[in-house]
Amino acid sequence: MEEVDEVVEENAEFLEESDEDGGVTAQSVLQDIENAWLNEKFAPEILPHQSDAVECMLQQISHMEDNMKSLGKGSMKSLIHQMEINRIRFIISSYLRCRLEKIEQYAMHILTEEAQRGREDGYLSSDELRFAKDYLSSIELLFRTLALQHMPNVLQKFEIETMTVKPNIHAHVFLRANKRITGIIVPGTVDEEVDFEEGSQHIVQYSAVADLVKNGDIQLI
Amino acid sequence: MDPNEVEFLGEKQLVSIVPNFNFDMIHLISGSIGPFRAGLPVKIPIWLAINLKQQHKCRIIGQEWMDVEDLKNIKEEEKKSKVFTKMPSNHYMDEVHMLLGAASDDIPNADEIRTAVKDIWDIRMSKLRTSINAFLKSEGTHAKLDHLTAMEINNVRPLLPHALDQMVRLQQIGQASATADSREESQNMSSI
Repeated sequence: MEEVDEVVEENAEFLEESDEDGGVTAQSVLQDIENAWLNEKFAPEILPHQSDAVECMLQQISHMEDNMKSLGKGSMKSLIHQMEINRIRFIISSYLRCRLEKIEQYAMHILTEEAQRGREDGYLSSDELRFAKDYLSSIELLFRTLALQHMPNVLQKFEIETMTVKPNIHAHVFLRANKRITGIIVPGTVDEEVDFEEGSQHIVQYSAVADLVKNGDIQLI
Repeated sequence: MDPNEVEFLGEKQLVSIVPNFNFDMIHLISGSIGPFRAGLPVKIPIWLAINLKQQHKCRIIGQEWMDVEDLKNIKEEEKKSKVFTKMPSNHYMDEVHMLLGAASDDIPNADEIRTAVKDIWDIRMSKLRTSINAFLKSEGTHAKLDHLTAMEINNVRPLLPHALDQMVRLQQIGQASATADSREESQNMSSI
């Protein structure tokens, strides 16, 4: 049993070493994923991917599962670990599923935006990018075989621009400020400037705080 | 978001239990818990507490604020105050629901606690509805929601943001048609 503990501690240490800022533990990575999950759930547009954190957590889980084999099934300790792993798995899959839903909904818009971003600062992970492209080409194929080929010549073009669905970035969101932020411009008939105190909760248009959500100053709730 | 997911987030909160077994510290990914000593209180996450309770391995003590007198005071405060008062927990409603659901035999005065919390919830929700109504009529664009708890926010989520979205949409249409009108007018003027 102690082996498991040691491995968990080793993992935690490994995580700490792998990040130069220090202070990164399995616990804080889990918190990051949970925050990313909530942000993704409530933000109208797709947010930058967090696949580093997800990968790291999945690794942690598989380490844990390897070590649990030595514990024997049914022991209280392995049951507790298993329960926790199931909870973390739920968060991760819900997070990824939420992103896939957005990709399906806004495939064209996301791909156009993504094309303007560099490889390094893309919002989609490489798997998600492949999924988005496959999805779009499947849609196009479907339209062609089902309808377009039976249309008169002038109407046969698959017009991406006219079909693009964009997320409503003016949608209102609930948020909590992680630190004091001043001078947020809330668009309206007259643009208004507001300040957020640390820990305060608000409802505003997403477009006013989009950048702050992406850099982590604001948590959607 | 599904209310179950709000509860899922609430299950992370710690609660005191008295185990009836001995066990060493367990290093979970979300932090270490234990060691467990039979008869000595220890703090663990609610999800685990409920599971252990179901296996008859512990007694749940409940949260410190789960006290009928305290809750009655909170209720009076809430009645008197115009704004929302600070709740003892960001998940007070779901914690009561989960802990009393699993361990009503462990927590003294479970029924009274449940009633008191339900009263507080009702007062706050009606206050929330009134203020949302006033807010929408004032055509505000942003609002401060301090001290609203997770479940309360989730409860108005289908309504409030959606209503505001529609108002923005109407405003945009209004503006667009206003500019179109003024353009038409100026064209008419020039033609005269």
